[in-house]
Amino acid sequence: MALLSFERKYRVRGGTLIGGDLFDFWVGPFYVGFFGLTTAFFAGLGTALMAYGAALGPTWNIWRISIAPPDLSYGLGLAPLAEGGLWQVITICAIGAFVSWALREVEICRKLGIGYHVPFAFGVAIFAYVTLVVFRPMLLGAWGHGFPYGIFSHLDWVSNVGYQYLHFHYNPAHMLAVSLFFTTTLALSLHGGLILSAANPGRDGTLYNNPNEVKTPEYEDTFFRDIIGYSVGTLGIHRLGLVLALNAGFWSAVCIIISGPLWNKGWPEWWNWWLDLPIWS
Amino acid sequence: MEYQNIFTQIQVRGPVEAGIPLPRGDDERVGRPFYNWLAGWIGNAQIGPVYLGFLGTASLICGTIWFVIVGFNMLASVGWDPIQFIRQLFWLALEPPPAKYGLSIPPLTEGGWYIISSVFLLASVLLWWARIYVRARALGLGTHVFWAFGAAIWLFLVLGLFRPLLMGNWAEAVPYGIFPHLDWTAAFSIRYGNLYYNPFHCLSIVFLYGSVLLFAMHGATILAVTRYGGERELEQITDRGTASERAALFWRWTMGFNATMESIHRWAWWFAVLTPITGGIGILLTGTVVDNWYLWGMKHGIVAPLPDMWPTVVDPAIGG
Amino acid sequence: MKLWIPFAAAGAVFVGAAVLFGADWDFPPIDSTQVGFRGTGMVVTQDRGEQAALRLANVPPPPPYEADPEGDRAGDIYENVQILGHLSDDQFNQFMASITEWVAPEQGCAYCHNEENMASDEVYTKVVSRRMIEMTQHVNEDWQAHVAQTGVTCYTCHRGEPVPANVWSRNLGPGQKGRAVGWRNGQNIVSKEAGNTSLPSNALESYLLEDKAIRVHSLTALPNGTNQTTTKETEETWALMMHMSEGLGVGCVACHNSRAFNDWDQSPPQRVTAWHGIRMARELNQTYMTPLEPVFPANRKGPEGDVLKVSCATCHNGVQKPLYGVSMLQDYVDSLGTKTSTGVPDYNTYVPGETQVLKPAQTSSLEPVSGMGDAEKALASAD
Repeated sequence: MALLSFERKYRVRGGTLIGGDLFDFWVGPFYVGFFGLTTAFFAGLGTALMAYGAALGPTWNIWRISIAPPDLSYGLGLAPLAEGGLWQVITICAIGAFVSWALREVEICRKLGIGYHVPFAFGVAIFAYVTLVVFRPMLLGAWGHGFPYGIFSHLDWVSNVGYQYLHFHYNPAHMLAVSLFFTTTLALSLHGGLILSAANPGRDGTLYNNPNEVKTPEYEDTFFRDIIGYSVGTLGIHRLGLVLALNAGFWSAVCIIISGPLWNKGWPEWWNWWLDLPIWS
Repeated sequence: MEYQNIFTQIQVRGPVEAGIPLPRGDDERVGRPFYNWLAGWIGNAQIGPVYLGFLGTASLICGTIWFVIVGFNMLASVGWDPIQFIRQLFWLALEPPPAKYGLSIPPLTEGGWYIISSVFLLASVLLWWARIYVRARALGLGTHVFWAFGAAIWLFLVLGLFRPLLMGNWAEAVPYGIFPHLDWTAAFSIRYGNLYYNPFHCLSIVFLYGSVLLFAMHGATILAVTRYGGERELEQITDRGTASERAALFWRWTMGFNATMESIHRWAWWFAVLTPITGGIGILLTGTVVDNWYLWGMKHGIVAPLPDMWPTVVDPAIGG
Repeated sequence: MKLWIPFAAAGAVFVGAAVLFGADWDFPPIDSTQVGFRGTGMVVTQDRGEQAALRLANVPPPPPYEADPEGDRAGDIYENVQILGHLSDDQFNQFMASITEWVAPEQGCAYCHNEENMASDEVYTKVVSRRMIEMTQHVNEDWQAHVAQTGVTCYTCHRGEPVPANVWSRNLGPGQKGRAVGWRNGQNIVSKEAGNTSLPSNALESYLLEDKAIRVHSLTALPNGTNQTTTKETEETWALMMHMSEGLGVGCVACHNSRAFNDWDQSPPQRVTAWHGIRMARELNQTYMTPLEPVFPANRKGPEGDVLKVSCATCHNGVQKPLYGVSMLQDYVDSLGTKTSTGVPDYNTYVPGETQVLKPAQTSSLEPVSGMGDAEKALASAD
């Protein structure tokens, strides 16, 4: 694939965190770097092990393949490969690949002279994943508390872990996380729609039906002030979107890590603090 | 580490913006604009003015009527006890009528208020929808926000109108209450054999998570290039600058592919819009076309196999 | 003008503190028990500290002394011994001592007996206890599908209280039926019986007194018109399941793989035990509790005037196996292990403070039950 028309002048050396100039090159459109190699290593090994796990299992149907964590009886120790050990190695590979990817993004940010917002945001996603497969299992004392790697089997896990706490919708952090997911999606549709509507303003509807002029941010602000009385603005919407999205991920991590380590009854019972407040009597 | 532009450091205060002049025949905007320091921390500090007009006013009135009907029914449902109203607020709801009334109008004592309030809610939502269209055209903007809102209305209509119509009773509608609608959602999944095996539910979740992922990626990318003026997206769309180029190259070098300053908003719009569209399809099929999604999954070979852990367990109802 | 800022801050601090200190958080170490295949998430997690406290609260009391099974039968020695007459004198008195400790340790014998005339049935609690002993015998003999050889005693439910802690009665909640505003379809308030959700609050009546269908799932992927169960009815089933989980201190996965709640092939055997338990509770309420309604005074009934009834929580008291599976019955096999009477008296004839002997009708022909002479004889023999 050829370079983009403006790309050559940005392809400069430097900005690496490790390895100096040694890995400072591109393959096609991809930047490599030291962390590109570690990403490839972990991702390749992890994928191969998943294929191996699938070969050990009863099916090659992509929807049905599941690589499960070990039995709880192994605690925080290592399990034989066919009995959850594969899951443990794959988890290490996944974390290695994700962290390498984030650090590679840092190197690209440095090379391009831009902020570190993307690797930071990706870090929050990694944090949520590590919460599920490392932090929570460690707090509960067994790797078997991780979720299985399979398309529908991981949904079974979500279902069962939720119903262990009777009604997961009453988990306050889950409520917050779901609300943030919906709000982020709403905000994304509004932002995407607004930019598209200003950049593609249609035709003027006169006799000649001329295309309208592309609009300026003043129109964006006016539109939202007319609708809801406030426009957060061109810079603000990206801050807002990022904050909403990161909080959706963060509170998702919170909602699962408190389930078990900090709460073992039904989640509806959690609300007793509210029902029993002394102000009611 | 340079400043990452998370907050506005210096808030500039000038005269408030009145907004783009409106076409002849439109009402005046209402409310005197003012500055709010907290809002100015992350976005524009100016709040107001707002355009009410006929559609906005009518929508707000209908919405208020819905809100008041729901609220008074909640209050009455705890015997008009204001303390219990606050204490149990999250538990209270306005409940749809029982199934025995089918699609007829039930008495007020058994869900009639739900039907009445729903009419006002529907009117409120549709008036607001029309208002979004009219406001966009009044400013000479495209109607993308209007259509996006239409996708959300689709899901709303499926839940409260289309599916109850197909099922033949209003009891299938969702109660208006905090915990009760969550009870309904989960019980709905249980009744129809696990919604996780509903492929449209899968798609909807993918688009929901995808939307959050996209907004994180997009928001972060734009903030990262604000030092080059990247937040002026319309300028970057019409006249690509270095901010746009760096943003594009970041993703190209990271994952081998990049959007443009305009196309990222198309990705965004479609992901966000497909969330309620696919979700609505999934709900509409449930109970009408498919009665047990887990068994549907078995039929189509998507359920992960498990070893038979308890071969001796049989249904005692048939075991005698 | 800007007063809302300190007010909002104070509110946030208040709510934050209430959440952090008011909610009953657990802390590791947490004990977890794997129920299903690895990776299915079928794991019961329990707070170790809370479990230790629960274990301490569920230690059954030992029998007061070892009873001699030999000697004259209680039925020959005492008057009006209808169901425990086959015990030896020593066994009978040991059992009376035990039941006092189990049910009325503070009130003593007088809780059920006129101490002037121990044989008299004039205290209503004596009539109730007799029926409850019959119920216990019935459970131990006929419901081994649920209680197995472990069995139950009075203590399983009573725990030293005259009224067991976890009983229920009809619950219509606030708001009146038939009013134009505020209809809530029997749900949408805090339902203690449904684990504090807003699920239907009268589910125990539907399933543990009446026999409303619990199953909601279709057994075919596509609709075939046979399953008309609504989401609302599913909520009521779920309310029952909430009660069972709370009563046993477990999550749904103790009995189900939630990916297919209804599928018995994927269910742990505990679900079969629970299935029998539901039927047992229902039968006990229908056969033993409800017929006693005329005997109970108003202050021993629920707000709707119905008798207090049993649920899963009545015996289990938050523990999966009541009293952690310790069989108290082993010490009381002779008294509680098998049924000793089948007749049921007509409880409508009972007059508290007056009825001296309340007996099943079919045995009335064998022994005289009324007449001043018998009552005087009973009084005399009780000395």
